[in-house]
Amino acid sequence: MIRWGAVVVIVAACVGYLVYSASGSSSEYYLTVSELRARQPASQDVRVAGVVQNDVQRSEGGLHIQFTEKDGTASVPVDYRGTLPDIFKPGITVVAEGRLGADGVFHARAVLAKCPSRFSTTPYVQ
Amino acid sequence: MSLAFVGAGALLAGLVLAVFSALLSFWAGSSDNAVMIQVGRRAFYAAAAMILVASALLETALLTHDFSLAYVTEHSDLSTPIVLVAAAFYAGQEGSLLYWALILGILGSASLLASSALGLRLSAYAAGILATILSFFLFVLVLVASPFDLLQITPPDGLGLNPVLRDGGMLIHPPVVLAGFAAFAIPFAFASAALLAGRSDSAWIAHTRRFALVAWGLQSTGLVLGMWWAYHVLGWGGYWGWDPVENVALMPWLATTAYLHSSQVQERRGRLRAWNFGLVILAFLLVVFGTFIVRSGIVPSVHTFAVSAIGPWFLGFLGASLIFSIGLLAFRASGLRSHGEPAPAVSREGAFALQNLLLIGVIAVVLWGTILPLVSGLAGQQRVVGASYYDRATGPLFAVILALMAAGPLVPWRHAGAPLWRALRWPAAGSLVVLVALLGAGVRSLPALLAVPLGVAVASTVVHEYVRAAGRWRSAGGGAARAMALVAGRRRRYGAYLAHLGLAVVVVGMAASHFWQQEKDVTLQPGQQVAVAGYTLTYVGTAHTELADHSELVAAMRLGGQTLEPARATYAGLGGQSLTHVAISSSPIADVYVVLAGTNADGSASFRVFVNPLVSWIWAGGTIIILGVLLGNAGVRRAVIEPVAARVPSPVGAS
Repeated sequence: MIRWGAVVVIVAACVGYLVYSASGSSSEYYLTVSELRARQPASQDVRVAGVVQNDVQRSEGGLHIQFTEKDGTASVPVDYRGTLPDIFKPGITVVAEGRLGADGVFHARAVLAKCPSRFSTTPYVQ
Repeated sequence: MSLAFVGAGALLAGLVLAVFSALLSFWAGSSDNAVMIQVGRRAFYAAAAMILVASALLETALLTHDFSLAYVTEHSDLSTPIVLVAAAFYAGQEGSLLYWALILGILGSASLLASSALGLRLSAYAAGILATILSFFLFVLVLVASPFDLLQITPPDGLGLNPVLRDGGMLIHPPVVLAGFAAFAIPFAFASAALLAGRSDSAWIAHTRRFALVAWGLQSTGLVLGMWWAYHVLGWGGYWGWDPVENVALMPWLATTAYLHSSQVQERRGRLRAWNFGLVILAFLLVVFGTFIVRSGIVPSVHTFAVSAIGPWFLGFLGASLIFSIGLLAFRASGLRSHGEPAPAVSREGAFALQNLLLIGVIAVVLWGTILPLVSGLAGQQRVVGASYYDRATGPLFAVILALMAAGPLVPWRHAGAPLWRALRWPAAGSLVVLVALLGAGVRSLPALLAVPLGVAVASTVVHEYVRAAGRWRSAGGGAARAMALVAGRRRRYGAYLAHLGLAVVVVGMAASHFWQQEKDVTLQPGQQVAVAGYTLTYVGTAHTELADHSELVAAMRLGGQTLEPARATYAGLGGQSLTHVAISSSPIADVYVVLAGTNADGSASFRVFVNPLVSWIWAGGTIIILGVLLGNAGVRRAVIEPVAARVPSPVGAS
């Protein structure tokens, strides 16, 4: 016979520890471009949401992409190597994951686009 | 008169009927008025019929391109293939809510029709709760998000559909997932009704379990189809990204997985009664919470759903459901105390209890990751967690759950005797052989060394159980008729083992494709080769074609005897939006997955090439799980379960 209350406490403690250790090392700040601009270049990865501007440059067969991400007034140049989501184009909102370098360029290791779960082609207007 | 007026009228009539059904059912149930209970139930059927009429009208409007309806204009156009126009029914906010209400009406009616064994009062309360939930959806459909809103000017053509969604996956994944979501309301209604009526006998368990399995089966199918679609269409080489939208579909599935196991403890041993109510209620609350999260847009997600006015309504509904459920459980808690001694640690019920706790742990991890942006946003700067958080926090829990899956079916009810280690020798041997083979092959990653052998252990246990059954069948004289009788007598059991086997196959497929995926970015001139993980691809050339609304760039790559054709379509009319067509060469060992990134001025083309080992096992395993659910439960009118009451130790694995 064992005490199930003790088992519950042990499992809860393990889950708590897993959440604590995993989120401590892999949680990232979710910022707007202006918030990113207000911060110092840091060694920790962040995610930055903003609108792709009309200056997308592709090289190396489309595997190297440079563009500007903007929100309201602030903007940041983004440099990324890899494949982009299909709906990537100027005017859409993307979330770039990476870090702001000392050169003032945001070096992204992933670029996520907002998926059009809506059936239509126009952005939703409230 | 426009079809839209009839549709809106049908929804309004449905709302009136559903509210009437709810009020009448609760009143008639509490006063045991058999006639009025019948009337209340029939009002529910009538409300469901009204939703069916409204759905048929919306589908007609779509198929006849009636662009006077805002919904038709926003979600279809004349050039979209007609099957995808039909799929627009559930593609938008309003239509998906109507589809949800439709499934709730149909499954709710089916569950009420089948509820005669449960007693008048309980089924009346269940009708009342189902009608209340249906009223909520109809209220939103009538007043907040009507699919029958008219435009002031009828445009000549609709806005059409995003190319990313112009895919066959659109036809199967969303309707199954939405149906799964809707189905979780049925077990919830019957659990709450049992609490209200203050009774829960074996007929109630069988009924609730049946509909929990319907929801679980639909959700399993929806999750696998979602992964399959993401893998084949999105071109990032993966199938699961721990996005909030995926998480909210996973959590009710996990809660119901826990319930399907713990409900057996109640059937056999009369224990965990309050816990089982809690799990069924939790699954439903997670569905409502997930819908709120997804539709309100308050959590950053790759999927942006239409952020609209329905968010606050779902929050209100979530709050009301939460207060109702907690109040009900607290009110009845004293009557739900289990009788008899607590479960011994090493026993079937002990394994189920621990598995339940671990599944709740996984839900807690996923829930925390999903709401972290909200919680941290309240406290200051928003934070998010990525896939690595989920991998690291859920991985150890899943490993222990797999170990329990391997051992649990071999441990008897009540208590394990000396033969336990003897019983465990097959899964232990199976996993040890694979572990040694992996170590010999040079694998040193601990997660991989845990996941694959544990998956094999689960499969070994299932195979062992089937071999034992075959032995009994042979010693009984063999023959097709006896085999049928043997399986038919314990359908639920052999169906469940088949589902376990399917999950083991999925686990091995996921572990292999996760830990041993290889990828390479290359730029090739025609005639040049690239080798990834032993597969050699030769770039042949690229063809450019102009089509009506888009241009297509198709590359040809030779892989052995076959030609892969990754392509990229560009839609000039949509601001130059492009669409990737991934080329996949699939085999049971590995998928070669090629994405065309683009072409260069010098005639070369750039590709991203993935080699994903054992991905096809995930789809195969998913299919086996569904077959297991069907084998174990389809067409069973009433499961016959004998409680294990006598204090006689049953032989290992025999019960």
